[in-house]
Amino acid sequence: MFSFLEKFSEEVIGCIQRMPRDEIAKALNALMAVFERDGRIYIFGNGGSLALATHWISDFNKTVFTAQLHKATRRFQAIRLPTTEEELTAWANDVGYEWVFAGPLQNYLQYSDLVIAISSSGNSLNIIKAVEFAKSKGVTVIGISGFDGGKLNELADIKITIATEKGKYEVVESVHGVILHLMTRYFKDYFTSLVSRKKE
Amino acid sequence: MTKNGGFMIVVRAPLRLSFVGGGTDLPVFYTKYPGRVISTTIGAYVYIVVNRTTFINEISVRYSVAERVRHPSELKHTRVRAALMEMGITRGIEIASFADMPAKTGLGSSSSFSVALMKALHMYQGENISPRRAAEAACRLEIDLIKEPVGKQDQYAAAYGGFNVFEFNEGSVSVAPLSLDHRLKISLEQHLALFFTGITRDASSVLVEQTANTEKKFEILKEMSDSVFEFRDNVMRGNIRRLGEMLHEGWMRKKQLASSISSSVIDTLYETGINSGAWGGKVLGAGGGGCIAFLVSQKYREEMRRKIIDAAETMNLNGFKEINVPFTQCGTEILSSDRGLED
Repeated sequence: MFSFLEKFSEEVIGCIQRMPRDEIAKALNALMAVFERDGRIYIFGNGGSLALATHWISDFNKTVFTAQLHKATRRFQAIRLPTTEEELTAWANDVGYEWVFAGPLQNYLQYSDLVIAISSSGNSLNIIKAVEFAKSKGVTVIGISGFDGGKLNELADIKITIATEKGKYEVVESVHGVILHLMTRYFKDYFTSLVSRKKE
Repeated sequence: MTKNGGFMIVVRAPLRLSFVGGGTDLPVFYTKYPGRVISTTIGAYVYIVVNRTTFINEISVRYSVAERVRHPSELKHTRVRAALMEMGITRGIEIASFADMPAKTGLGSSSSFSVALMKALHMYQGENISPRRAAEAACRLEIDLIKEPVGKQDQYAAAYGGFNVFEFNEGSVSVAPLSLDHRLKISLEQHLALFFTGITRDASSVLVEQTANTEKKFEILKEMSDSVFEFRDNVMRGNIRRLGEMLHEGWMRKKQLASSISSSVIDTLYETGINSGAWGGKVLGAGGGGCIAFLVSQKYREEMRRKIIDAAETMNLNGFKEINVPFTQCGTEILSSDRGLED
């Protein structure tokens, strides 16, 4: 059993060490830019990726501003799509499962926004449909993928691919969690240092 | 509803602060040797608002004056005239501009205007163009259509936003963003002191002289272009003292490029800064006025600020102001457009 533990950690650690740093740095800059223009961030994924997306918006909308929770006049506006189960099932049932993200995204998307799409394979049709819609409007897309990156890696402006063999969902999703938490910590540190700078 | 209803588009473009390499973005230089500039955008903006007026056929343009004409060819505003003619927009449009800073401060605002204008006019025609296309459209407008003797750094800085190294070659421009974390960014902001001299100048007259002198000063411009890499590396290392010294060296080089780049007022302000502890500084823009920036240790910052402000008062510089703005990441963006996304 210990050798299994060892092997799994090695796989995850290897992926963390090889994560695409330049692209992650670009993603942090893109998030800063959307904050500066007071735009919104739409994030989505299927299954475990949707759980990651939901977890992340709570961190990004609140935890990031820990040092100034009641004072921050401007905050991130991160929104997970679809925002309700009703919308998800309505689009899936009435129109087709490939529309569950693109459908709601069309209701909201403005030119000043940013899209984050999470898909381990990078090929989920519903993710690709939403990404194509965002791209057609000239909105920046951060693609967070695994395996060989799939179509998401081709389409995204910022390509965060955790390269693994096909099918290693546990490893890929774990590292996606690390990257999303890295983004949270980066901005939490930033806003905390702005507050302490004002106090100086 | 959109069939004959109007729509309004608001575009925002940032101003920029260039550190090293200004002047190497002129074609007379970069057609012979790669031109390079390192700059950051700052939290000060030019805004362009475009409104489609389906019930009014005229063209209305509002800046420091208000123009109302029947055809774009009758406009006095050269850039808006050329842009509308180029885009084939001949009726039913209102264009207005707003800015956080006066014109001609050396912070690149006139190109921020062009980039915002081209982004807005393309959106008016239904297309949200990329930063590269917005920069190219603004360069085409200023350099090819109106034949202004300007370089390309400001258009690219405004379109992309952020801290970048630009390289200019014949027929191509490359953009390399610096991955500057927030610690470095805040540290740089804390060591920077930026002042608007209150003197405004037209970049063209200085640039014409500079262009004419390029042959003679080719070696100086080459050094300026090459020093961009060293500046970038020191930014990433957080070696702000060296950055200050490099600004000083760059300014000394730049002063040799054209007689009108400096003036006695500028020299007095600059010497005041250096004598009160600044590591170095520079005048922003093509020179002759505009803004002056220093990098200075935290220890001397307050004292230096006071002395500069005193010197400005002594010289009766009306309009002199300290500028306190953060470095920013966002380029030229559509802040709002009530044009339907599917329209």
